[in-house]
Amino acid sequence: MKKPSIRHLTSCTILAGSILLASTPATAAGVIAGTLIENTASASYTTGNTPKTIESNKVTIKIGEVLDVAVASLDSGAVAISDSNVLAFSVTNTGNGPEAFTLTADPAIAGNDFDAAVTSLAIDTNDNGIYDAGVDTLVINGGASASIDADATLKVFVLVSSPSGTGDGQSSQVKLIAAATTGTGTPGTTFPGAGTDGSDAVVGSSGATDFAQGKLVASVATVALVKSATVVDPFGGSQAVPGATIRYEIVATVSGSGSIGSLTITDAIPASTTYQAGTLKLGSTALTDAADSDAGSASEKGISVDTGTVAAGESRTVEFAVKVN
Amino acid sequence: MVKHLLLALSCAIATLFQLHSAQAAGKVALTGDVKVVRMVEQGGAEKETLSEPTKVVPGDKLVFTTRYSNDTGEEVDDFVITNPIPEQVTLTEEGDFTVSVDGGKSFGQLAALSTKASDGTVGAATLNDVTHIRWVLPKLKPGATGSVRFSAVIR
Repeated sequence: MKKPSIRHLTSCTILAGSILLASTPATAAGVIAGTLIENTASASYTTGNTPKTIESNKVTIKIGEVLDVAVASLDSGAVAISDSNVLAFSVTNTGNGPEAFTLTADPAIAGNDFDAAVTSLAIDTNDNGIYDAGVDTLVINGGASASIDADATLKVFVLVSSPSGTGDGQSSQVKLIAAATTGTGTPGTTFPGAGTDGSDAVVGSSGATDFAQGKLVASVATVALVKSATVVDPFGGSQAVPGATIRYEIVATVSGSGSIGSLTITDAIPASTTYQAGTLKLGSTALTDAADSDAGSASEKGISVDTGTVAAGESRTVEFAVKVN
Repeated sequence: MVKHLLLALSCAIATLFQLHSAQAAGKVALTGDVKVVRMVEQGGAEKETLSEPTKVVPGDKLVFTTRYSNDTGEEVDDFVITNPIPEQVTLTEEGDFTVSVDGGKSFGQLAALSTKASDGTVGAATLNDVTHIRWVLPKLKPGATGSVRFSAVIR
């Protein structure tokens, strides 16, 4: 698309041929777009005994730009997503001239358990393979990359968030499509004068567009609370009569995957009962009733215990006791 | 004064005469042309045709033609046409010419030539190694015209 990178061949200098051979500016897709192929023939002859030489006119052809691109996912497997995450892709200019590409992420792929929302795209500006917020340049979905040189690769991030109601383990795919800004179409489609240095642009075998899909797997942790009560009455029985003590046990179990942070268990003291001071426990650890540095607090109104971050598969147990009035 | 005018006039006439005589004597000329080979469908079959070289990309096949003419009115001897192969193309096939793989220093049939790789190993020369090609015509009679051609693929 840009860059004057014209190489002229010195066809009249006999020795130049072999020397220049090594410096042919070529890409994987061949001679770089915009290069001029120049050909001049010469002839020597004698008339009488006089040696003479002549040259032909110079014929010149400008190499057109082949529009080709390859997109690949850079993630080694499905990327876990709880709230948001980043998918990584590579966009390689497999044509023979510098070209910018329109980048479009499509999260609605047939067969998805859920469709992620595309927050933005980002270019890996510092080329470290990791999305760095504030460093890597954001590109709106459907926006264009900067010009990518022939054979060069740009890493592109797709920033996604998961919708609410996503179940743990559900999977989703997000497609990144790159399309040459000069144009796309069936191979052989031409855009006269639209290529590098005003050369003709010709759609290559890729159709000048390609895509790859990145995989997401939802990581959702859920918590279940089970509350049980044990009654001990003053008569050695288990009737909830006045004066009986009720010991409540609340078990919070986290399932799914990932973890839940600041899992706080609260409960109100039932009417017609009185909280029994100093009975609050988290697991086997007794907690003071005061709202202080330990995890819990209790009053005549209720209890509250911050159990911290609880990983899936773990549980926390909170206990306290009341007396029936 | 008159003398000077006459001198100037005679100079002008002399110049005109020289120009005229040069044109009358003619010259030996080379005219180059290039076309691209396209597959064009004709009557249901794909056929190779030579087209104007637009939309030319790597992998396309080019045909370079050089026409020669002898308009001097005299016979020309040892008429040798040399064509360096542009570095961006590879000769596609041998023809009625000899080739050079050493930048035009020596010419011969490709099978008789060898190249030295950067590591010093010597191997048989291939079309990829050809740097120049050469046609030798012993004589061009007055008024003789003709053409030579070679085809090459863009690297």
